[in-house]
Amino acid sequence: MASKHNQATRGEAARETRSRQGMEYRALLDAAVDAIIVIDHRGVIQEFSQAAQRVFGYTAGEVIGHNVNVLMPEPYHSEHDGYLGRYMGSRDPHIIGVGREVRAKRKDGSVFPCDLAVGEVQGVDPPRFIGFIRDITERKEAEEQLRRSEAELRLAQELANLGNYVMHSGDDSRDYFSPQLHRILGVRPGDERIARTEFLGKWVHASDRNRVAAEFARMDKGQSALDIEYQVVLRDGTVKHLHHLAQAVFGPDGRVQKYVGTIHDITDRRRAEDEARVLQERLTHFSRLSTMGEMAAGLAHEINQPLSAIATYAQACQRLIRAPEPDIEDVTAALEQINAQALRAGEVIRRLRNFVKNREVKREPVNCARLLEDLRTLAETDARLHNIRLRLDCHEPLPTVYADPIQLQQVVLNLVRNAIDAMAEAPEDRREVVLMTRAAADGEVEVTVADHGTGLAPEATEHLFNPFFTTKASGTGLGLAISRSIVRAHGGRLWHTPNDGCGVRFHFTLPVSPAVTTGE
Amino acid sequence: VLKEQKPTVFVVDDDAAVRDSLRLLLKSVGLPVEVFESAQDFLDAERDDRPGCLVLDIRMPGMSGLELQIKLNERHSILPIIFITGHGDVPMAVEAMQAGAVDFIQKPFRDQDLLDRINQALEKDAGSRRMLAERNMIRKRLESLTPREREVLDLVVAGKANKVIAGDLNLSQRTVEIHRARVMEKMEAHSLAHLVRMVLEVERPEE
Repeated sequence: MASKHNQATRGEAARETRSRQGMEYRALLDAAVDAIIVIDHRGVIQEFSQAAQRVFGYTAGEVIGHNVNVLMPEPYHSEHDGYLGRYMGSRDPHIIGVGREVRAKRKDGSVFPCDLAVGEVQGVDPPRFIGFIRDITERKEAEEQLRRSEAELRLAQELANLGNYVMHSGDDSRDYFSPQLHRILGVRPGDERIARTEFLGKWVHASDRNRVAAEFARMDKGQSALDIEYQVVLRDGTVKHLHHLAQAVFGPDGRVQKYVGTIHDITDRRRAEDEARVLQERLTHFSRLSTMGEMAAGLAHEINQPLSAIATYAQACQRLIRAPEPDIEDVTAALEQINAQALRAGEVIRRLRNFVKNREVKREPVNCARLLEDLRTLAETDARLHNIRLRLDCHEPLPTVYADPIQLQQVVLNLVRNAIDAMAEAPEDRREVVLMTRAAADGEVEVTVADHGTGLAPEATEHLFNPFFTTKASGTGLGLAISRSIVRAHGGRLWHTPNDGCGVRFHFTLPVSPAVTTGE
Repeated sequence: VLKEQKPTVFVVDDDAAVRDSLRLLLKSVGLPVEVFESAQDFLDAERDDRPGCLVLDIRMPGMSGLELQIKLNERHSILPIIFITGHGDVPMAVEAMQAGAVDFIQKPFRDQDLLDRINQALEKDAGSRRMLAERNMIRKRLESLTPREREVLDLVVAGKANKVIAGDLNLSQRTVEIHRARVMEKMEAHSLAHLVRMVLEVERPEE
């Protein structure tokens, strides 16, 4: 009895237990975020969780008892029975216990990506399988978005010839170098590492190495971000110009954790700049020659003077020597003068040659007062020829500027020539060109060329600096345009103001050279 | 009084070497020379109208050679001018010649060419000075005449006979003869022709 009762009770308890387990199982199925589908060994759907109903758009009733392949797009739809059969024959796990990414089909026919994990229910025969399905549409879209962004970034880098990198201090396994950076440096990813420690010695052009090393060191000390242009030499010998921007990222311990930077290949730009510079230099030289051409008469005069003096001294010497008692002192003095005058003529020719020579632009420390004094010989010949006085007014001491002396002389000479031409009709008491130089405010040296000529017509003012604009019959119209570009290239400005009374003052400034102190 | 002063060559050139070489050349041939570095310096110098000639650079800063020539002409200077020119100064040289320059010479020049021109200029200066001196002398003699004697002279020079002059001036013919003799004496005239030439010499309009 008791046992019967017990048996009955046990049977009831077992039923109750089963029932409870069934409810728990149901609750579990329905609570799961992932869709859960249970199929038998033929692929017929046994269970279809609430999440599954949400994901696929079928109710459980619609699919239970149907082949699971209704939830699959081709080719899975046709092949799924084959998969099952193969598994049943070989028991080769294949998908069992392994997650994989597949595509599934909703009731409305739309296909979506999902992660699928399949487990086999143990201890039942025939076997049943339980599938966990997670809709990964959003993740895939995010991944696709990321992939597109990366592709776009790569394209942008390619177009801009710009590469970027992240380099870690110490551990270089996490370093990142963008594909374009590899291309810029002529390296195939994986072939060769671009290590920071080797960067200087391996890539940077020998002539730039010290400068780059110093800038790297400044960045390491946190003094400044890196912003430097230098040349690199690639494995095949190609030389490239790079613009490198980088920033060191410091850890809480104050030590560099990593470097984030971009490297811009500016070789083409530099080459274009070089070509533009060569053209500019040619034009500048041409303009210098034409200025000289305008001054040819004055220069001929300037060379003729010492030659004339030499001839006269020599003839006087012959007469002095033929005298019954030659005056040796006079003869000696004359010979000394012959020597001095020959050197004077030579000096004029030397300056002339220096001025017209086609040469490399070379900047050096220049004292403007000395420069104007040097220029005097050339400028004065022209002034004298036009019966114009040239007055120098240098307010010393003058700070040194860093400039190409011949180009500066060209600017001044051009301004002096214009001043002389402007005074062709000026009355005697106004025929003076004043050349001034002084230290201006803001660390600049200012040079002024003042005339008392006719001044500038309003329409001339407008086009003054345009190339090929000229008010002269035989002018090239390049003088002022080139003068301005020379001054600008030196970091200065060129402008004009009316002179007190009448005429024009042309001014230009040059920044004081920071590296060189005043004086010699 | 007319004892000849030794002529001086005045050199005006702004170029120190050219100026000094000219000084030495002229010194070597024994010509007194004075040099000036600007036209203004030359104008300012006390020259007391000494005889000589001027060797002048045509191009100079400040007052040019041409301008100095104009100033000297305004002052009735008779100093002959030789211009020194450079290349391409021919138009200026032409202008100078039209304004009365003796000559011009292009530098560099042969010394003998310059010296020849200087000698010609000095001869011209001496000639001019002789003529001037003579005119001054004639003027002085004319000034020594009384008004009546001057009247008689003018009529004599006009070619009138004593009788006509006597009638014109309401004088006796005898009185006219006496005045006429005094005029010949004071004017130191050898003959009537000489007297006429002297009067025409000073009364010719200045060129």
